[in-house]
Amino acid sequence: MRVLIESIVMALDAVRANKLRSGLTLLSIAIGIFAIIGAGTAVTSLNTSVNGELASLGQNTFQIRRRPSIVLGSRDWIRYRNRKPIDFVQAREFKRRMESAEAVSVNDSEERLIVKANNLSTDPTVTVSGIDEGYFLCTNVTVDEGRELTAEDITLNRPVVIIGRDVAERLFPFSSPIGQQITIKGHRFTVIGLQKRRGAILGSSLDNIVYVPITLYQKYFAEIVSLTIYVKAPSKEALGFVIDEAIGVMRTIRNVKPGEDNNFEIETNESLAASFSSLTEYLTTFGFASGAIALIAAGVGIMNIMLVSVKERTREIGVRKAIGATRSNVMSQFVIEAVTLCQIGGIFGILLGLLGGLALSVAMGFQSVSVPLDWLVGSVVICTVLGVLFGSYPAWKAASLDPIEALRYE
Amino acid sequence: MLNDKPEQPIIIDIKNISKTYIMGTEKVYALKDISLQIRRNEYVAIMGPSGSGKSTLMNILGCLDTPTTGTYMLNGKLVSEMEDNDLADIRNKEIGFVFQTFNLLPRYSTLKNVELPLIYAGVPAAERTARARQALINVGLENRMEHKPNELSGGQRQRVAIARALVNNPSIILADEPTGNLDSKTGEEVMAMFEKLWEQGNTIIVVTHEADIAAHARRVIRVRDGLIESDVLQDACTPAL
Ligand SMILES: Nc1ncnc2c1ncn2[C@@H]1O[C@H](COP(=O)(O)OP(=O)(O)OP(=O)(O)O)[C@@H](O)[C@H]1O
Ligand SMILES: [Mg+2]
Repeated sequence: MRVLIESIVMALDAVRANKLRSGLTLLSIAIGIFAIIGAGTAVTSLNTSVNGELASLGQNTFQIRRRPSIVLGSRDWIRYRNRKPIDFVQAREFKRRMESAEAVSVNDSEERLIVKANNLSTDPTVTVSGIDEGYFLCTNVTVDEGRELTAEDITLNRPVVIIGRDVAERLFPFSSPIGQQITIKGHRFTVIGLQKRRGAILGSSLDNIVYVPITLYQKYFAEIVSLTIYVKAPSKEALGFVIDEAIGVMRTIRNVKPGEDNNFEIETNESLAASFSSLTEYLTTFGFASGAIALIAAGVGIMNIMLVSVKERTREIGVRKAIGATRSNVMSQFVIEAVTLCQIGGIFGILLGLLGGLALSVAMGFQSVSVPLDWLVGSVVICTVLGVLFGSYPAWKAASLDPIEALRYE
Repeated sequence: MLNDKPEQPIIIDIKNISKTYIMGTEKVYALKDISLQIRRNEYVAIMGPSGSGKSTLMNILGCLDTPTTGTYMLNGKLVSEMEDNDLADIRNKEIGFVFQTFNLLPRYSTLKNVELPLIYAGVPAAERTARARQALINVGLENRMEHKPNELSGGQRQRVAIARALVNNPSIILADEPTGNLDSKTGEEVMAMFEKLWEQGNTIIVVTHEADIAAHARRVIRVRDGLIESDVLQDACTPAL
């Protein structure tokens, strides 16, 4: 224990004596640990948020889209790129043919639009979603003031909208928005309902939104769109059956020949969760790989700094041996020094990693930032292993010095 | 065999010790078949020209080096056959080494330097500090405990080194040209310190070139070309300062 404190003090001394070299080495350790902790924090926070998002789609609801919502890698992208959009005709036909579904909703959205009312205007950040009456059945979205969109609103192309709370507060700070007029891209709409507050997920507020009838949406906002179709099965048990029917109907509508692959994607909560977990796996692997590379570089740096330190302190080692230090005394002194160096770097890395992970989480609007405790413990272990691994050879060199030659060293 | 303390036990007993170095194809004899006995509380000076083998002999006596052939008994223990760890233990407990170049650790305070042998001996912190303080008081450096070596004069540094050599109560004190880096006045002060230690019952062996320094000792061994040339007793003749 006494020798331990001794050696830690010596290590700090060695760091002070070689500021630049130690600084660079400590930096690479810090980067390695940072990458690992950063990835850990991001992944943990991402998971928490994604689980929240999945919950917003109803339990028994699945989606049909042209392409998967998460595409990893360019090879997959090429495969999906040429798929024809799901247009309004197909969607309407699908809705007509589906028999087992409890509800079907056709929707699409465009982001970064400006909404105006009277002389007030929002930032160009509002999402405009084209929906139909089925939307409220298929999702957890509800209206808590005014009324929902009805089938009539859709078929009669009524210029009516439901707005989120962020938009409402911005445009109508002093009065109720219900019955008021708003303008989007020069088109006038009447507000008929307010969406119940939902909060934010993955950086964007879910309340900075305007819902318009899908028919008008198609006319005013998006010329070439691919619609997303939500399908709600009557029960969890029926989900598989409804999916099968949906695939069959969709293949017919989109002229997929027998034996060919689907040219559309079915996404359930489970398949989305699986995609997310492959995304987080990717992040984790990436974090670990880059961390490992930085740490190996750091290890080599530690070895170098320790070899130089042993060389510079040859005489000191000779003196220590002359007054009774054993091989293992010398060996452990230098190994502890190496571990101490690594731990200092590791502490910086942990701090950087936590800050980075926090910053990322805040930037992406994750609701909960979770500090990955197990990763912290892991970092301390990694630093210790690193120090022992790369400090042993220099320490062994020091321990093997012949006292006479060491004392004679200039 | 010569000695001036016939009543005391033999603590150093070397028999037929040789030390050879291989330089390329040549064999260099630093010591050739030397035998020597030293009893407790002797005060021995080893003299001889440069390259004669004085340091080699000292290093073997101090267990820093091992002889190529021959046996070395220290305090009844056969150290010439010992392993690394046992030798470290002997160096720690039986031997106090004083070097020409002091060899203090520059980053440590005086007190810390003196404590170092006790750390390796496993002495608990409180006792260690107390003993190191006492050793520094004994060499007259009670006011320099927290100084770093580079804040001390040469003579003071050598006194710190002596305190370090003494702190673990060794059986013998070995000094290889302890005054070699000091001016003659400070050298005399250091020698006076050895004189005092000898009077307190310590066994002292000093290597030196200088006759003045050797004059402090009671027994002078002259070495030449790795052989003992002469081994004589002499009276104390402390020169006037
Ligand atoms: N490591 C070594 N390798 C080869 N030869 C050595 C080595 N160490 C000492 N010698 C040789 O052994 C002989 C004795 O050396 P030693 O250092 O004992 O001399 P010394 O009497 O202490 O001399 P000085 O008074 O100059 O210190 C010398 O000839 C020296 O060259
Ligand atoms: Mg010499």
